[in-house]
Amino acid sequence: MKSKLVAMFLELKDTSETMLDLAYSSLLYDSAEIAEEVLALADKMRDLSDRIMDEIVQVGRASPDEVAKAVVTTRLMGNVLEISEAARSIADVVVRGLAEHPVLAMSIRDSDTTMCLAKIAGNSILADKSLGELTLSTNTGMFVIAIKRDDDYIFGPGPEDVLRVDDILIARGPEESVSNFKDLADGSEREL
Amino acid sequence: MNDPEDHTSLKHADRSVRELLTDMKDTSEVITDLAYASLMYDSQDMADKVRELEEEMDDLKFAIRYKVLLASRTREDARQLSGLLEVASAADRISNAASDTVNLLRFPKEKRPLITEVLTEADEKIRSMRIRDGSSMIGKTIGELMVEACTGCKIIALKGRHGWVYDPEDDTKIRVNDDIIVRGTDDGADLLKEFADGVREWEYPEVPEDEEEAEEEAEEVEQSEMELTEEIRGDDE
Repeated sequence: MKSKLVAMFLELKDTSETMLDLAYSSLLYDSAEIAEEVLALADKMRDLSDRIMDEIVQVGRASPDEVAKAVVTTRLMGNVLEISEAARSIADVVVRGLAEHPVLAMSIRDSDTTMCLAKIAGNSILADKSLGELTLSTNTGMFVIAIKRDDDYIFGPGPEDVLRVDDILIARGPEESVSNFKDLADGSEREL
Repeated sequence: MNDPEDHTSLKHADRSVRELLTDMKDTSEVITDLAYASLMYDSQDMADKVRELEEEMDDLKFAIRYKVLLASRTREDARQLSGLLEVASAADRISNAASDTVNLLRFPKEKRPLITEVLTEADEKIRSMRIRDGSSMIGKTIGELMVEACTGCKIIALKGRHGWVYDPEDDTKIRVNDDIIVRGTDDGADLLKEFADGVREWEYPEVPEDEEEAEEEAEEVEQSEMELTEEIRGDDE
């Protein structure tokens, strides 16, 4: 059985990764809105880490044998939090309006893991399908990190989220995947 | 000794800020994957690679500061470059966290079971698999196969005839009985395992046939990025 501690720690780790993805995308597209979400997630991370600490104390009290494990967990938590703080500091650059230097966007585009945008057209085979059934990461190499729908965002979408016409996807992945991913979204490629 | 044109004392000082920042971002991602994997597979060897990358990151950090300070001529330069330095230091923080993570290896494996549980259940997992006889991956390079584009999985380490290679290059050839450690979603890793086991033939994605087509494709991508960036920022702020 998955313990409460493992479940909370999983959320901590996954959130830190989502934050980093979002932070880089806020930088690339100079989007204060995405950056604000990273800051909000940073607050959430602090709450979560407090709850994890409480749980560790509980575990330590109940079974002193587990204290060594608790120490290791605490150390690892500190490092995961450090990743989320790094993400927060990147988002902070955007919020402060200091993300204009063109080299920032170029470096993200040049890196092994690049990012791109794709808009779902009416005739796209991605329309009205859930991320769970599309498994885009496996099929295209691109991992969707956010969806812009009308004026709102879905950050860190899950398998149950259904793509709709006119959604703009923000995704990360290898450069070789970008063209095909965009073609699937704009309807010019009909096979996943 | 203080010749301002003498770049030799500082590593990477001949490279551009753009190259340095790209390298820092790439390194921060590789080092995080390797740090988690080293705990999962209890690998001191992988931890050493993490420490090596961390040292490399320090060299990159000093080089980028040096280049940025040299490039700053006006107040506006200084303003924009301050943002750039903050992003560079974020990559450095990530690599520091990774090198601290591998220090946890000094605790015996039974004292850190939670880590393995977490790493086997996260959204993107770390898994290992072997290239079996009959796999269509054999004899091909990672770049030829475009492993990440085809499966969404990134090969973070490979054990071949000459031992482990961490963060293998695109020109690394896959051989029979190689062990690979990958990071990716469950579906992606399941698919990759079928390829590795040889029960499924590698499916190559469509690639541009010649330079002209590649150029056209790149232009289309650039055009679409520009339009959609406008759209996404349209009602921002």
